[in-house]
Amino acid sequence: MIQLKNLSKHYGDIKAVNRLNLSVSPGEIFGFIGPNGAGKTTTIRMMGGLLAPTEGSVIICGIDMARRPERAKKKIGLIPDQPFLYEKLTGMEFLQFTADLYGIKRDAFMEKAEKLLNMFSLFGRAHELIEAYSHGMKQRLVISAALLHDPSVVIVDEPMVGLDPRGIKIVEDLFRTLAARGTTIFMSTHALKLAEDVCDRIGIINKGFLIATGTLTDLKHAANMGEVDLEQVFFQLTEEESAS
Amino acid sequence: MRQVIFLLKPRLWSFKNRGHAKKGGIRLFVFGVIGLFFWTGIFAVSYRVLVYFQQVEGIGDILAYKLLSMVLVTFFSLLIFSSILTSLSKLYLSRDLSLVHSLPVPREKIFLARWIESTLDSSWMVIVYTIPVFISYAIVYESGLFFYANIALALFPLCVTASALSALVVLTTVIILPARRIRSIFVFLGFAVFIILYVAFRLLRPERLVNPEDCSSVLVYLRSLNTPASPLLPSTWAFDSLKAALSGDVRNALFHAALSCSGAVSLAFVAVWAAKTFYFRGFSKTQAALARPFQAQSRGLNIFFSFLPGPARAFAIKEIKTFWRDQTQWSQIFLVGALIVIYIYNFSVLPLEKSPIQTVYLQNLLSFLNMALTAFVLTAVTARFAFPAVSIEGNPFWIVRSGPISIRAFLWIKLFIYLVPLLILSEILIVATNLLLHVTPLMMYLSVITVFLLTPGVVAMGIGLGAAYPDFTSENPAQSVTSFGGLMFMILSATYIGTITILEAGPVYTVFMAGLRGHGLSYLQWAWVVGSFSVAFLLSILAIVLPMRFGRKRLLVSLI
Repeated sequence: MIQLKNLSKHYGDIKAVNRLNLSVSPGEIFGFIGPNGAGKTTTIRMMGGLLAPTEGSVIICGIDMARRPERAKKKIGLIPDQPFLYEKLTGMEFLQFTADLYGIKRDAFMEKAEKLLNMFSLFGRAHELIEAYSHGMKQRLVISAALLHDPSVVIVDEPMVGLDPRGIKIVEDLFRTLAARGTTIFMSTHALKLAEDVCDRIGIINKGFLIATGTLTDLKHAANMGEVDLEQVFFQLTEEESAS
Repeated sequence: MRQVIFLLKPRLWSFKNRGHAKKGGIRLFVFGVIGLFFWTGIFAVSYRVLVYFQQVEGIGDILAYKLLSMVLVTFFSLLIFSSILTSLSKLYLSRDLSLVHSLPVPREKIFLARWIESTLDSSWMVIVYTIPVFISYAIVYESGLFFYANIALALFPLCVTASALSALVVLTTVIILPARRIRSIFVFLGFAVFIILYVAFRLLRPERLVNPEDCSSVLVYLRSLNTPASPLLPSTWAFDSLKAALSGDVRNALFHAALSCSGAVSLAFVAVWAAKTFYFRGFSKTQAALARPFQAQSRGLNIFFSFLPGPARAFAIKEIKTFWRDQTQWSQIFLVGALIVIYIYNFSVLPLEKSPIQTVYLQNLLSFLNMALTAFVLTAVTARFAFPAVSIEGNPFWIVRSGPISIRAFLWIKLFIYLVPLLILSEILIVATNLLLHVTPLMMYLSVITVFLLTPGVVAMGIGLGAAYPDFTSENPAQSVTSFGGLMFMILSATYIGTITILEAGPVYTVFMAGLRGHGLSYLQWAWVVGSFSVAFLLSILAIVLPMRFGRKRLLVSLI
């Protein structure tokens, strides 16, 4: 479903992402963790088609992002870490805008929009301007818009930023439900507990290199650790890498 | 004062760091050359006018001093208007204010630091472009070095006074109205004052002054020249100081400059004192005013645009809704409306029948020039609305980048969204003014077709260059027209319009004269007409395609 082949991004002499190779299967929830400045957001931006790689390729559902970006993007629901939206539109109008952009039929739109807005407790304020929304409400609206066209791949950068506990619970459950239906979830996060609870596999990136991938058990083996949690594994692996 | 300096440091450091940046050398050079060109132009015109006044026996000095007084009143009015807008942004709307107000610094010091910034920002350009006027006075009146020093002594307190008065107005008004709305209101009022002044000036019919039978009114006017300006106006203090310095009366010049300085310091003191009471209350109110609920449910646009493909419909509806809901746009619409009214009104008062040139010839000549003028009006409107169309996407541009739409399609959609209303506007302008001119059917058809060909090119240049030089982080994308890209657009558009006009001028003249004399065209003349119009058509196609391609490439590169 998602394939990253030798993916690199260089900013002058700085190698933000270095020869990243990764494959995520349909229905899998993949957690992408790493320290600040490790290359997580750069990777996500390349996967979402927001940034062109220096070398390598991003393949989404067998479609090369560089060759057929529009077709690849149609398969993706992207949720960025900062919910920048058109502030002068209402929540419902923003969803209508997204629906038009993704070619969703008029009759299907209303049903889907109402369902998503109800799920995220936004329906009562759907006709207010987005500029009157709180950060958390904007984040919920972005998630609703990303799911409106039933994407095969959901790419999320820090999904829980700005969400209240109820919102976090809704998103966790939603990701599990989507994955069970075959949707691939690629999630970058600093919340290690969330990654541990939700993700099937986890990748750790540090200084642009993917230093470890696998299930929590695989990572514990890689770190030569016993019954510990992801946080300890993360510190062990990233510190080893920094020392080397 | 130390805390005020600390608060000003980020601005100073940003300015210093901007100087270190390698990029932008060419931009700086181009801006520098254009700025110098205007500066020299202002100097040349004022010097020429003053030399002319000197030659007018008896009233030369009166006219020169009257002009100086008018320059200072205009200077002061511009400073007030500019200071109100700048202090509103600096004190209430800047993005960094949340951070600044969270710092352990007294509010009046925050105010003082912001007010100093606002004073500098609102004054520097007005000062730079009025200095050549004062220098021309110094040269014509052969003043000594003291006059040059006195320019600074007179202008500095005038800037401080204008800025302090504006701050006081803003501080008190924000308590009543939300800051975001005030900006629109002041911009609106500013343009309203401009229009009233213009219409009043037009109603005076200055063209009548050239008629000898109107001489008595000129004498009345001359008598009014000697009436002194109000002593309560700060610009009068500066005028008195500069006038005394021009005539070498140092003592009087210093007295009036000191008067001006004391007025400025007192007002600044009052502004800081008022800030202690009002500033935070107003700032707090501005934050609360953000959460303005808005009920909107319009299906009309969806139905109206239902014939468009999905992405085009999405952007068309989004563009229209955000445009009408953004109050800062309203004043711009008013400005465009006023521009059109003035433009059409000017044609209605043209005294064609009194011209010594044959009326039919003159009507058609004016109609021909009118095509170019309409295109220049179009350029101004495009610069304000279509050029910032890409920048106006702002931070939510990620939605476009991650959406299933190419940058190419996105730009073409933008082009069509702006092309339709601008084409209608241009055609209304050209047809209305041609009707007022009573032009021949040939000129009417030619004008309508030429404007139809010119408009897509001008709008495409606006969209293309706006995409090539975007500013997604600007707090006011409409101001991007004053950037390097905006300047390039103006220059390119003017060149394009000029080229098309020149290409059409010769053949049209030939056809027109042949019709007037009742002759047919020779084969060579036909070839010339067809060739010129074909090149004009080809250029119009290139004017659409090339800027759009350039914009797409530059935008893609800037996003990598």
